[in-house]
Amino acid sequence: MNPDTAITRRSIDVRYVFMAIVGLFFLAVIVYPLSLVMIKSFSSEAGFTLENYAKIFSQDANIRALWNSVWVSCLSTLICVAAGTILAMLIVRTDIPYKSWLRMLLLLPYGIPPFIGAMAWAQLFGPVGYASKLYMSITGAMFAPWNIYSAAGVVLVLAVYQFPVVFITVSGALGRIDTSLEEAARMSGAGPFRTLIDVTLPLITPAITASALLAFVGCISNFGIPALLGFRARFFVLTTRIYSALSIPDMPLATAMAILLAIISGIPLILERRLERGKSKYTVIAGKSVRPQTMSFGGWRIPVFILVVLVALFAGVVPLLSMLLTSFLKYWGAPLELANMTSSHYKYILNLPMVTRAFRNSVFLAVSAATITMAVGALVSYMSVRAKIKGARTLDFIGTIPYAVPCTMVAIAMILAWSRPPVVLYGTIWVILAAYLVRYMPFSIRTTNATLQQVHVSLEEAARVSGAGWTQTMRDIVMPLIRPGLVAGWILVFMPALRELTMSVLLWSQGAETMGVVIYNMQDAGYTQIAAALSTLVLLVILAGNAVVRKLSKGEISI
Amino acid sequence: MKKASLIGLALALLLSISTGVFAESKVLLYTSVPLELATNFADEFMKANRGTKVEVFRAGSTDVVNKIWAEAEAGGVRADVIWLADAASYYAFKDKGLLHPYKSPEAELVPAAIKDADGYFTGARMINMVIGINTNFIKKGSEPTTWDDLLKFGPRAAMADPLYSGSNFTVAAAFVGKDNGWSWYEKARKAGTQVLRGNSDVSRGLAAGEFAACMVLDYMIYDLQKSGAPVDFVWPTDGAVSIPSPVAIIKGSKNVEASKAFVDFTLSKKGQELLVKDGVIPVRPDVAPPKGMPTADKIKMIPVPFQWAADNASTIRETFEKIMHQ
Repeated sequence: MNPDTAITRRSIDVRYVFMAIVGLFFLAVIVYPLSLVMIKSFSSEAGFTLENYAKIFSQDANIRALWNSVWVSCLSTLICVAAGTILAMLIVRTDIPYKSWLRMLLLLPYGIPPFIGAMAWAQLFGPVGYASKLYMSITGAMFAPWNIYSAAGVVLVLAVYQFPVVFITVSGALGRIDTSLEEAARMSGAGPFRTLIDVTLPLITPAITASALLAFVGCISNFGIPALLGFRARFFVLTTRIYSALSIPDMPLATAMAILLAIISGIPLILERRLERGKSKYTVIAGKSVRPQTMSFGGWRIPVFILVVLVALFAGVVPLLSMLLTSFLKYWGAPLELANMTSSHYKYILNLPMVTRAFRNSVFLAVSAATITMAVGALVSYMSVRAKIKGARTLDFIGTIPYAVPCTMVAIAMILAWSRPPVVLYGTIWVILAAYLVRYMPFSIRTTNATLQQVHVSLEEAARVSGAGWTQTMRDIVMPLIRPGLVAGWILVFMPALRELTMSVLLWSQGAETMGVVIYNMQDAGYTQIAAALSTLVLLVILAGNAVVRKLSKGEISI
Repeated sequence: MKKASLIGLALALLLSISTGVFAESKVLLYTSVPLELATNFADEFMKANRGTKVEVFRAGSTDVVNKIWAEAEAGGVRADVIWLADAASYYAFKDKGLLHPYKSPEAELVPAAIKDADGYFTGARMINMVIGINTNFIKKGSEPTTWDDLLKFGPRAAMADPLYSGSNFTVAAAFVGKDNGWSWYEKARKAGTQVLRGNSDVSRGLAAGEFAACMVLDYMIYDLQKSGAPVDFVWPTDGAVSIPSPVAIIKGSKNVEASKAFVDFTLSKKGQELLVKDGVIPVRPDVAPPKGMPTADKIKMIPVPFQWAADNASTIRETFEKIMHQ
């Protein structure tokens, strides 16, 4: 027996141990709770039934909502993929100035809860919003020509909220690609545009598809934005119909609709896997540490810069300013005069013990969820993308499913699964962590998949030929290569987890409050200004954390 | 090693002593009462009852009701005491055997109409659905005075959704139960009256001038007025819808005695006076209502068929949905 196969066999053994552990983990954390929901969707008082599914299609309103969900999500995804990819290219690969600032501005909206963001947009472009009032006073018109409470409003705000997912993933991929390929293209006489289309774009395609998928599923499973902006226009999507079914209460119908939603989100997942299959030839050997070269815009540098600034202002800064203004208002919608401003909301929340506790809980939950899901996700990705172990693709698929399940259903699954002995997590902070793990696992798997696909296997083979074992290869070769992607994924989980709402609101208990819950409760009780003040604080924490990490990592790691 | 285990033992001892001394009993309260008011209540109660700790879980009415049903299905409601705006749900809770009967001595003065005859729950604050107006648009003397008047404002008027708001579910039950069927809602749909999610969305829109008039809860307008918003409200001449927001003890509570003490406190003179400060009408006739508000017995109300509403909850919500959303 030659030494080479001996190494291979030993390493396979280690991998199978890891796989078994991940498999059990998925079985307990994802499959078991979600299958309880599945069972519920097929049940009635009499036992097994298909009538819940029949009921979905017997009502026109449901079919309309289904169609709305699909087209709204497709359109929003298109917008954010286009914007996200172009902006990522502009910021990572060109010579426009103040890049890191622009990057931060563009990512700001991701740090605030979508329903607060939707409120901010409503305050800008609603019938009596700041922008609408400004327009009316300038033109003398009775109404503004736009209406944020509409399907178009839902599409726009969804796109703004999912855009960072694309931006983070694609700019991560752009930072990792091997510039020697581009150099080769340029030396062979291809122009910068040609190089971009023929070389760069194919290289980052896995990242674009992965993020498009996340964005699509993010849009179709979002509840807060269509609830706030679509509701008044009688514009319903599946998630808002599920909420209605839950309030009627018709739990079996709600679960059946949730399963339907999961199936729709599953279709692009399957398509993506099909596409991936033929594409392994696009992987790149990016072993040496590359500093991506930047393209020069020459005279266009400043105009392009201004354009990016405008986008950042529109998508991030202006809504946040509107939120900041709200946090100082005596009541929502008060005219913008100094007499109507107060700092009492900040004083109030800083003296509330619940707020300190919620901050601590949220940071703990977000850090744990991001770290655990990234660790598991990296393992699963490695097994399925690289090692191509039998069954790993199944794990990959199982881990991606929860993203298609609406948050409310994840929460209900948690209640069904974890409030009875032997394992009682309900009523503690751990049940929220369990929900986050289910919810954010797909983020980590999709981003680590995209990252690994870019790293060619030959580097590992080289390490192994040189005598390194599997663990050593992982530690010394694979991990350093995929680190930027892992960091991007970690942030992608950390930020939404820090302000998560939909699941926490059903799962929290006294003492286990999260920031999202406190913000939501304030908003729900009519204290939008206090909710805005809290959101501002969350955002400040994110910015401060970012500054610290950046300093510690000497600029290498940041949002 | 030895040192560590010693420290561990000391800690365990300390923990058992401290829990023994400081928290003789604990009351977990699920409520939809505004957070500030609820924590105020808990603090005042704890001052008067040393040794009993009150923990407050506060969320929107529908969210708490959903949580209670989910917990009941999954092995038992965790709360000791519940205090929600969704009065009809208490009838359903009672039917499903989730409540522990208790006739509080403090409840004697509470009108019979808003407490359960068997003592399963007792109305603990009166919140009223009234007509809210924005005073920038509607001058004194020209206010809408009936629920039909509200419809004249078309899309410049709004109400909350019974699928989300327990109070508006009560309104639907009152309007439909009043034997006029669904005609008011059908007219509202034709008029283009806007349906928003919750009452806080409605009151916000009213304060911001998005709506001229709306169906809204009285204490929310009271609160907005205090912060300077140009809003006011009118008692409809054909009757307001009053929601008694009951308090009840959960069956199987491990802290029944402490829970009883908390219910007593809620209904006591002192407890009701706390409510008054926040613009809520008390349930006791011996406590003066907030300035400018009537006493509970002076309000003209549309009767609410609560038991019927609890029995037909799904149908009521489904019908509303068909009329207003489809």
